[in-house]
Amino acid sequence: MTAPILELDNVSKTFGTGDDVVQAAQSISFGVTKGECLAIVGESGSGKSTVANMILGIYPPTSGEIHLNGSVLPSRRQLAHRRAIQLVQQNPLSSLNPKRSIGASLRLALDVHEIGAKNERADLVSALLEEVGLPADYAKRSPTALSGGQRQRVAIARALACQSQLVVLDEPTSALDVLVQARVLKLLNQLRETRNLTFVFITHDLSVVRNIASRIAVFERGRMIELGDTSTLFSNPAHPYTRRLISAVPVVTDEEAALRSALAAGLEDTN
Amino acid sequence: MSIPTLDIQDLKLGFKGYTGYAEVLHGISLSVAPGERVALVGESGSGKSVTARIVLGLLQELRTARISGSVRFEGKELDRLTKRERHALRGRAMSMIFQDPTSSLNPVFRIGEQFHDVLRRADAKITREAALERAASILAEVSVRDADRVLNAFPFQLSGGLNQRVMIAMALANEPALLIADEPGTALDVTVQAQTLQLMRKLVEEHHTAVLFISHNLGVVREFADRVYVIYKGRIVEQGPTRAVFEGPRHPYTRALMAAVPRLTGGGIPDIEENSPDFGAPIEIHPDEVQT
Repeated sequence: MTAPILELDNVSKTFGTGDDVVQAAQSISFGVTKGECLAIVGESGSGKSTVANMILGIYPPTSGEIHLNGSVLPSRRQLAHRRAIQLVQQNPLSSLNPKRSIGASLRLALDVHEIGAKNERADLVSALLEEVGLPADYAKRSPTALSGGQRQRVAIARALACQSQLVVLDEPTSALDVLVQARVLKLLNQLRETRNLTFVFITHDLSVVRNIASRIAVFERGRMIELGDTSTLFSNPAHPYTRRLISAVPVVTDEEAALRSALAAGLEDTN
Repeated sequence: MSIPTLDIQDLKLGFKGYTGYAEVLHGISLSVAPGERVALVGESGSGKSVTARIVLGLLQELRTARISGSVRFEGKELDRLTKRERHALRGRAMSMIFQDPTSSLNPVFRIGEQFHDVLRRADAKITREAALERAASILAEVSVRDADRVLNAFPFQLSGGLNQRVMIAMALANEPALLIADEPGTALDVTVQAQTLQLMRKLVEEHHTAVLFISHNLGVVREFADRVYVIYKGRIVEQGPTRAVFEGPRHPYTRALMAAVPRLTGGGIPDIEENSPDFGAPIEIHPDEVQT
């Protein structure tokens, strides 16, 4: 077993003071192995985004430690830490600066992290665009001149720009149409292989994670209630909440409906 | 054969802008029989929401919109009605449920007041007490147990799921013949969504309400609708009974759409084109199931 690239050790986060306290994350511990895609699923308010934000260093944990490659991440991150963990957000229209061209947005990431020599960076931008399946001359375009799927590809390219090994994907395809979603998920899978990337994939969509994650962590009200291999979790979920969650997903085939009712039946047994 | 609750024939819609005329609906036809649940499914920009807005008569007010074709509601051509007659239909004979319940309810009035307003559209003289009583009984139908608290609350004091149920109750309060539901529950968590869909289904069945259900979520459509129309770039590309369309999609676009949905049973991410010239193929119509 290789050492995990990312490890959360008893991490908690509390918001508010006095009587008005929200335990957004409670004693969360898990490791993410290099090259895997770990999904964090849960409904709104489950704490999945809180955990993502702590991994990214947007705010520090109230208690507990986060390790990257074996060393503790400080609450105030250095440039190198920020380079090591990158983020792709849900809505690329709001995460890309509308006043910058696509090329300028990508170039900025390269400039800040001093990737490549100055005179090579224009070529790096073209290479990044091509890597995510966009023509290099899109660099001149504004984000508003792109479709939703194309914009999300740009957001992915920007996350790849500083050659980080770990990418946090926060609902990366939730705002996309289903045909576009399939293409973007395909691209993510492919990049994970070619670049040997590690993903932390945050979503509420269980059908998506079933097909892309290697392991799944289920969150409910700030607690991680189950963590397991994707196939085990779907065939034999241990926690009743996981069963409830899976059996509520709208499906398109009879085969899926059968899986759902089998899980729902298990639910009634435990009650 | 009875008169369809909603009958749309060759509906075209275009917008006049600075850069010229852009047509967004290229002649769509669909019908909803009394008590029938019909889904209009498509991706963003396909024209599904504008279709709903035309039925409600909201787009007609827009100066840049050019609309042609026929929209009949219970046999009456909507185009021939006066503004006042159309206004009288909305909220009484036809009503709508929107995607985000919390933002479609008025934040500065209590739920009870809003119910009173809705009920007044059908009965102008209804008293506050009678309205609240009626509201409580409809809320009970959507499994809201503490109706008093809900009627006394402002929308932001209630959860999204509760607001959605309030919306459904309000939309059905005046026993409309047609309910238009535009992406209901999309903003909700999946367990809450499943619950509200079930409630809505039960309610429209009991009240024999016809529903035009607009959604991009194929799974939700499969669970809710009797019949499906698939819309792509302003054209209906496939229509038929829900089972027939889901089990044997014929149009290249519908096939791609179905294949692109990630399966709960696994199988990986399929390799599908986002766009194909085949998607422009003519409409596929499945025969209706034999009525019993």
